[in-house]
Amino acid sequence: MLFSKDGLSKIDYNLVIAIIVAVTIGILMIYSAGFDPIDKMNNGLYRKQILWFIFGFIFMVGMTVINYQALGDYSLHIYIVLVVLLIITTIFGTPVRNTRAWLNFGLFSIQPSEFMKLGLVIILAKYLEIRERDINRLRELVVPTLVTFVPVLVILQQPDFGTAIIFIPILLTMLFVGGADVSHLISIVLIAAIALVVPMILTYREWVGAEGSNFILDFFTDIRLLMIVSSVMLLITLVTFVLHFFSVKKFLRKIYVPGSILSLGLMASVIIQNLFRVYQKRRILVFLNPDLDPQGSGYNIIQSKIAIGSGGFFGKGFLKGSQSQLGFLPEKTSDFIFSVVAEEWGFIGGLILLGIFGFIILRGIQTAFDAKDKFGALLASGITTIFFFHVLVNIGMAVGIMPVTGLPLCFISYGGSNLLMSMISIGILLNIRARKFVY
Amino acid sequence: MLMQSSLRAKLQEAFRVRMYFYMAVAAVVFAVLLLQLMNLQLIQGKEYAVKARINMESNIPIPAGRGDIYDRNFREGEKNVVVVSNRPSFNLTTIPANFKSKKKLNEILDLLARLLNIDKDEIVNEISNSNPWERVILKEDVEFDTIVKIASHQNRFPNIDWEDASVRVYNFSEMFAHVIGYVGSINREEYRRLKSEGYKHYQKIGKSGIEKQYDRLLRGRDGYVRRIVDVRQRTEGEEVGQRPSAGNNLVLTIDYNIQSTIYEAMKDLKGAAIALKPATGEIIALVSKPDFDPNVIISKNNARVIKQLQTDNDRPFLNRMIQSKYPPASTFKLITTVAALETEKAKPEKTYYCPGKYTLKGYIDHDFYDYDAHGTVDLYWAIAKSCSVYFYQLGLLTGPTDIIRYAEDFGLNQKSGIDIPGEVPGFVPSRQWKYKVFGQTWFDGDTLNMAIGQGFLHVTPIGMCNFVAAIVNNGVVYRPHLVREIRSNDNSRVIKAFHRQKVREIPLSPVTLQAVKKGMRLGVMSGTSGRLSYLKVPVAGKTGTAQTRSIRQEKFSQHAWWIGYAPAEGPTENAVACAVLIEYGIAGAASALPIAERIFYKLNELGYFDAAPLAQIGPKQNETDIRKPAVQPRLQPKKDEAANKLP
Repeated sequence: MLFSKDGLSKIDYNLVIAIIVAVTIGILMIYSAGFDPIDKMNNGLYRKQILWFIFGFIFMVGMTVINYQALGDYSLHIYIVLVVLLIITTIFGTPVRNTRAWLNFGLFSIQPSEFMKLGLVIILAKYLEIRERDINRLRELVVPTLVTFVPVLVILQQPDFGTAIIFIPILLTMLFVGGADVSHLISIVLIAAIALVVPMILTYREWVGAEGSNFILDFFTDIRLLMIVSSVMLLITLVTFVLHFFSVKKFLRKIYVPGSILSLGLMASVIIQNLFRVYQKRRILVFLNPDLDPQGSGYNIIQSKIAIGSGGFFGKGFLKGSQSQLGFLPEKTSDFIFSVVAEEWGFIGGLILLGIFGFIILRGIQTAFDAKDKFGALLASGITTIFFFHVLVNIGMAVGIMPVTGLPLCFISYGGSNLLMSMISIGILLNIRARKFVY
Repeated sequence: MLMQSSLRAKLQEAFRVRMYFYMAVAAVVFAVLLLQLMNLQLIQGKEYAVKARINMESNIPIPAGRGDIYDRNFREGEKNVVVVSNRPSFNLTTIPANFKSKKKLNEILDLLARLLNIDKDEIVNEISNSNPWERVILKEDVEFDTIVKIASHQNRFPNIDWEDASVRVYNFSEMFAHVIGYVGSINREEYRRLKSEGYKHYQKIGKSGIEKQYDRLLRGRDGYVRRIVDVRQRTEGEEVGQRPSAGNNLVLTIDYNIQSTIYEAMKDLKGAAIALKPATGEIIALVSKPDFDPNVIISKNNARVIKQLQTDNDRPFLNRMIQSKYPPASTFKLITTVAALETEKAKPEKTYYCPGKYTLKGYIDHDFYDYDAHGTVDLYWAIAKSCSVYFYQLGLLTGPTDIIRYAEDFGLNQKSGIDIPGEVPGFVPSRQWKYKVFGQTWFDGDTLNMAIGQGFLHVTPIGMCNFVAAIVNNGVVYRPHLVREIRSNDNSRVIKAFHRQKVREIPLSPVTLQAVKKGMRLGVMSGTSGRLSYLKVPVAGKTGTAQTRSIRQEKFSQHAWWIGYAPAEGPTENAVACAVLIEYGIAGAASALPIAERIFYKLNELGYFDAAPLAQIGPKQNETDIRKPAVQPRLQPKKDEAANKLP
């Protein structure tokens, strides 16, 4: 049964109103940010955003009408189509600021990586529903990881670092909610941390021209030595792991668990060290510490904090924010739109926006609680996770406690694909919530 | 089935626990975001508001006009001799960051370099070394017509801007070069030193002479326009933050007429001449040759000219009046005279016989020559005829200690304290000094040399002029100075008048003064300075011919001196003391005398020696000597003429 209308009466209109308020604030802010006080002209982006909103609203309503369980049935198809689209974009896309993330259709262009976020959540929800009982096993984590890393690697080729990186916390959160063993998740995080830390330290030392060396540093600098050591460690780990099947001696586990984490982490670090170019590694460093690039993202953070701080309690007023109006605030319609809100409408505006997002996330979690099936619950929590991480990273970046990434603020930032994806996601949430009593 | 449903319930419970955990994490994240928002907006809000203001406000300086400089004949509300003034002009500027690409900037620079004769490499270098958002001056002193042309073809010259920047005009070019000096862009070292006094890195600063000494008074205070600008420096609105206050005007003690007379007289000579009023220390004229044109120095693209002037063997930047030392030669005989008479080791009536040479007896006899055999002479005639043999013996009689003491009492080993920078003190040797440097004791031969102003002695011309002033003033010396008063920029108010300032008083007996004055007067009437005897004003003076080694293969290895004063009789309130030094002149009388002659002729013609109200000595003296100049000097220079002078 693809369509069923009996759920429509149970639509959560509070959530719809919250979304309409949020997008309206967004459009007003895009209008303000697009206004040039010297030429007395607006760049007109707000009109496009209104069109996208109307478009997105239709999709949202459409999403409430279909049966969300059908999404689970077609999850693999959706996933494959999106990955293919992503690959096409990465090869043939229109480069904007050296990033091939957009497919241009003349009148409009779309960013498939935005829809990929939702696509990933759907397929992960479906997989975790199917493997619900076995998910606490380590080998069950291989498929979700692969499913996540395919789009991540493609997006890294665009290259769109910020968008690619958001997939990983989404994956981990969904695995956590889906019932994966926490120790497995911690191991994965540790491997990733080791894999990143070694090349980052080396790149940092090289960049700032650090002097001196010691035994450990020399060891890390010699890639071949690193490779040999990690291979030997992996071999020992494998041997102890095999021995583990014949003997149940507990100490073996104490060897192969940390051994595998260390050796896999080091091998991954070797791969990162060799595969990534120096500027790419530096970009990750700047991502972690914007102070390394005071002209680039460091400058953005400083200007954003000035914009927010100077807004004070009541703000400077609509169209009166000097930081955004006079162009000191960069990326003011997308990455730093929260700063425009906080500058022109002050703490009040910032509080209202945080309140709206808090409400949306709370409703998402409630939906997950109340969903009638596991797929619905996982889908709702996955969608909530998308919103949650966008809020965390975008607002966190604007207020200066998170690294600079090009992530938009859902519903507020200018960008058709993100708005459309967000509206569709809300439609799915409404759908799951409306059907909680329908069996 | 039961198993199934219990497993389901267990899984459901696990899911709920994890969702609660999720919710708690989300709550913490929102709390952290909210706290940071409060921190930025409510706690640090004021500081960030200041930073936002700094971002959008850009203060554009409005340069203050530098003060004008007038000569001593200045009368408020009349046509005056303007020595230094300002001419309106423009600087062509640009903000490099406004160009879309380096290529575009390069194209514009190429075009401008062709049209305006700009050194492009220099500008490219300047741009690459500075903040791209900061204005760069492409060319200073651009004519109004050029600006009009650029303004009317703005599409061809995008992002090219201009600003008012008046240019200093030295109306008499070289004539006042060593007195006035010149201005220049503030350099790194000066900026570091003067930043605390409000100097800005883009300002001009006096580099030498009056311009340097009185810079703080002349410069005024820049105003600024406060502009609200966007990140690309486009202006959204502006208001006058502070109006500029123009610098003060200066009135010199220098009389243009006398200055020009000396300047003309010394045309091709090297040397220095000064005329000052002993009663106040006011300098009526001060010329040092060779010199330079300050207008050339301050023009842009002047590096080549300055280099040329700096490497010139004649050293035109050297102010020979205060920065160069010469043996005082026969003019020093007057100090020997003072020393002998003050210590009462001789009387003016004492005679010596002069056969044309003096033999110093010793282990080996040394002959010291005179240029002539003067026969038997007393002190007056010895001064008048400059009889060296007389002074050899007078010097031996007096002894070096006392001669040195008086030379030092007259300040010949000190700076005069003139109000322009760079002065050097003269040098008076001593027994200790000679022992330290040469490892030798003081010989009688040294005394002989010193008695006639040769040997180790080196003095500045202004030092000798101060000696004359001391004689005229019965031992009192006032600080020589070049500025009479400082006026407000509209000349309506006297901000400060410079009064005479006593720097030393040498107790001299009437016998000494009478002897020196009589000897000098005799020198003019029928002695070495005879050329001046015909002048209507009674002049007293002493010549000198300093023997020097000719370092640069000059034709004459002698420096010519003349020091003296007028009037030699009557009250001294209007007296003018004078010192002339000509480098590598033929002989004292031949080279320096014509200069002195012209000075006193002109002074007399202008009425400097007319009986003036005697009561006005002192502070009010400043206002007594204003007379109509005999020759009408060039007043405000014609604009195009001044412009033509610039390269």
